Amino acid sequence: MHEISSRLLEESPEKIAGRLMQKAHNQDGLPEMAIGVVFLVLAGLNWLPTAVKPGSVAHIVAICAQALLIPILVLRLPWAIKTARRKFLIEKAGYVESKPAHKKHLGIVIVIAVVVAVAGVFAAYRGSFPPTSWVLGATGIGGGVLAAIAGRLPRFVIGGVVMAVTGLALAVSGASLATGFAILYGLIGLLALLSGCVVFVLFMRTPAEGGE
Amino acid sequence: MIVALLAAVEEADFQYLRQTTGLTQGNLSTHLSKLEAAGYVSVEKTFRGKYPLTLCRLTERGKEALDGYRKVIKGAL
Repeated sequence: MHEISSRLLEESPEKIAGRLMQKAHNQDGLPEMAIGVVFLVLAGLNWLPTAVKPGSVAHIVAICAQALLIPILVLRLPWAIKTARRKFLIEKAGYVESKPAHKKHLGIVIVIAVVVAVAGVFAAYRGSFPPTSWVLGATGIGGGVLAAIAGRLPRFVIGGVVMAVTGLALAVSGASLATGFAILYGLIGLLALLSGCVVFVLFMRTPAEGGE
Repeated sequence: MIVALLAAVEEADFQYLRQTTGLTQGNLSTHLSKLEAAGYVSVEKTFRGKYPLTLCRLTERGKEALDGYRKVIKGAL
């Protein structure tokens, strides 16, 4: 607490509160497990179209699942984590009701999604995709940096470094886009799931202190 | 710190605040009592199923106090 008090003079209260809340958010490992599941599903859906005949029903189902399943998973997982915590972990993790998402943040996310989608459609129309190695390398580095910044904990920084190094290794290996993404997402998903499970087990082992 | 945390959420219970701040049970209880007495925080004892919840919310007065503190800190820097 003394450390926090001295930081109050250097940093805004909101920043310190944000960091502490982020740490509390990741203390039970559930968000990492959820991220792991999303990445493993993403890896499977990237690999599936390469394993089946192009134009077949399985191929179309795999592409549709990729387009629909991932957004649904990403949108519903925070709700699933919140419900699981309130139902099973409230005694250990406590109860918190977050403020509704800020409209400005939602706007930024929507703008980024629209820009990426328009760029993708434009590239497909022109037939001028960037080289596969660039896409894999940039995804690895971008995802790694994002994980390190958003997670704010050493294990997320390590995960980010692993993602960046894997992306670069795949970029120089000459792997195809689908195989590269399947390996990249599969490895990160497995790592996040394992790390989340370890954190969850450790969290469950710590004795719960009673309320006030 | 407790006020800053409560300003970032709608409401939080005692256990969440204890986990997040790293304060001991007694220490947090004392801080909350003082904040409640000053009118900065409202404390409500309730239940969620069988689990007792001590819900804490930042009051308007608490928000104003935090804004004032923020201005003082900005002025000092």
